[in-house]
Amino acid sequence: MDFSFSLLTNPDTLHMLMWGVSVTLRLFAGALVCGLTIALLLSGLYLVPSKLLRWIIALYVEYHRNVPTVVQIMVWYFGMPEVLPKAIRLWINQGNTEFSFALIALSLNVSAYYYEDIRSGIKAIAATQIEAARSIGLGAMQSLRYVILPQAMRISIPPIINRSLIVFKDTSLAMVIGVTELTYQVKKIENTTFQTFQIFMISTLIYLVISLLIATLGAQVSRKFPANFKS
Amino acid sequence: MHHPIIKSTILAGLATAAVFASGAAQANRLDDVKAKGSIVCGTQNASSPYGFQDPKTREYVGYDVDMCKAIAKEMGLKLVHKPLSTEARIPEVKMGRVDMVAGSMAYLPTRAKEVDFSLQYLQGNIGVLVKKDSGIKTLADLAGKKVCASSGSSSAAIASKVLTKSDVLTFQTISQCYLGLQNDKVAAMTAGDLVLLRFKNDSEKTSTPTELLSEPTYTEHIGVVVNKGETDLKNAINVAIEKIDKSGELSQIYDKWMGKDSIYKLNRTFKVQPVDRAN
Repeated sequence: MDFSFSLLTNPDTLHMLMWGVSVTLRLFAGALVCGLTIALLLSGLYLVPSKLLRWIIALYVEYHRNVPTVVQIMVWYFGMPEVLPKAIRLWINQGNTEFSFALIALSLNVSAYYYEDIRSGIKAIAATQIEAARSIGLGAMQSLRYVILPQAMRISIPPIINRSLIVFKDTSLAMVIGVTELTYQVKKIENTTFQTFQIFMISTLIYLVISLLIATLGAQVSRKFPANFKS
Repeated sequence: MHHPIIKSTILAGLATAAVFASGAAQANRLDDVKAKGSIVCGTQNASSPYGFQDPKTREYVGYDVDMCKAIAKEMGLKLVHKPLSTEARIPEVKMGRVDMVAGSMAYLPTRAKEVDFSLQYLQGNIGVLVKKDSGIKTLADLAGKKVCASSGSSSAAIASKVLTKSDVLTFQTISQCYLGLQNDKVAAMTAGDLVLLRFKNDSEKTSTPTELLSEPTYTEHIGVVVNKGETDLKNAINVAIEKIDKSGELSQIYDKWMGKDSIYKLNRTFKVQPVDRAN
């Protein structure tokens, strides 16, 4: 076995890896933003006093937490367009469907976890805080905005960052539907060069470096907004 | 020595050493297998009719499995059969976990840089399957369309080279490509002709029949693979394959899996010859 990394001197290989990294990062960033947005919307909806709505949210969360992510991606890609009329289906299948459906699946999947993180943050705030906020004359929305959420979000930051790291790694699951992200490209390079060890080592390093960067950024955000802050 | 951490450290060290040694070792694999009295032969694990599990008996059967048996018998060795995933075939050989692979492994110049090929024991075309009503008749018609292949297959590697104007994408299994073709995710799928024939037969029962394009993307020369530089072992396997061919056993194996006794009803047209003969 040779441990030379001559792979990296090949412009084609480099280009494929770069493209893979860019798709991975786009998937990750998209899932992060969409996931957090959906999670915040769900947290807001949970405040609506409706049993049915809460039941639907619970169902949504349980589906996304208990079904393997890779299955969720497949369901979206292979299943979802099938229930649509043929004309729409053909139109959907024209473009870069693979990426879009992977993004939808990953966003929904992570939104369920983010939502739970935010909810547990809210639950961690003592009920006396609401009572105190109301007793100094703040309204319901004001109490939420000025007293509860600033504290709850800070408590949620560490689990949210943790989950984000997992999403970053989960982007590699998108390769099962042919999204050309990093792992897909790595397998493709492996399939034409057969330098299995070298290419997987290279990709391991790439993932590790990016993961550590995300973790470092996350740690800085945590430090900036500590949970036990005094204002 | 009984401390788990020390134990695992030593094991990890040994494993690392073994990996390096297997690369550096100048040991002769043929002598090794003769000394052991058995040969480890890898095949595909889920690729009908080459190497797959018989749904009834749960045993691994197929053209390649029969080749392993015949070669081992011819060499006077006990066979240790090892089913492998498509992607694992070459890594397993290179890491020395198997002595040889008869895994419907087609000769490609890049592959031959990593492993050594025996004489061909099978030849097959890689084709393209499209929907009958798609209007696609030639490979040129595939320009700008999505073509699906199975991840890690030679069909995928060849499609990327031959169908440069198409968008070649890979799914985990070829069945998923078929699903994608059926519900218009992709315009075509590419794989070995035999695989495609099975899907074609299946599609005739549905509302969307498919057809094979007459033009293959490539003719594959399939040989047994051994680790780079194991010339003695390769030569011994070559002798075995030639004997199997002369005795008529190869034609029997062919008829059983691809010829008159199978669903494909193909006729054997290939000769046992070096894999790198020009197409």
